[in-house]
Amino acid sequence: MKHILVIDDDEAVRKLFLLSLEETGYSVFTANSGMDGIKAFKEGHYDLIFLDLKMPGMNGVETLRELRKIDRAVPVYIITAFHDEFFAQLKKAEADGMDFEVLRKPFDRRQLITATKGILEGPTSY
Amino acid sequence: MYTFLLYITGRRQKTLALIETLKGFLTERFKDQYSLEIVDVLEDPRRAEEDMILATPTLVKSAPPPIRKIIGDFRNSQDLFALLNSRDHA
Repeated sequence: MKHILVIDDDEAVRKLFLLSLEETGYSVFTANSGMDGIKAFKEGHYDLIFLDLKMPGMNGVETLRELRKIDRAVPVYIITAFHDEFFAQLKKAEADGMDFEVLRKPFDRRQLITATKGILEGPTSY
Repeated sequence: MYTFLLYITGRRQKTLALIETLKGFLTERFKDQYSLEIVDVLEDPRRAEEDMILATPTLVKSAPPPIRKIIGDFRNSQDLFALLNSRDHA
């Protein structure tokens, strides 16, 4: 079974991940802050991380930098709206050598399952 | 003529390797009868939004119809072309 870590301060988003992906056969652990997400990552094994960009306290990019100090290989998908205003800090992180992909929000249950299957199990069309 | 767009995030080594692999598959399959445009979401998020790209990397076949969007690991050409073909003949 594949293990997925979701780091997002929005409870509705965390629930959407849990409900959508657990019934699809994935193990999902959620954290409501960057700090808790890093703690969870240190204590477990994960095949994929979904990480919200805009969070109070430690934001997504700051959390990504800490995660990459622990593991440079695990796929990390930054959850963000596709707007210029959100991308300046992502461009800086990329220029600094941070490895990540992006997941566009908002998304629905079907899109979330499609994206996750594509990432973890091979090409999927949508 | 086949027209493809590949939406990526940044230009790191892993992504550059993906682009080269994909170009190899497409050239082998379509010879010179295709075009491939690379779009970096970090540079052009608006276009990715307009095209309703869900995540990166996504390969879009925009012509011939129907439009197909494929997300995932493209390192297996059989998986990739099976998806393209199954939808074309559906």
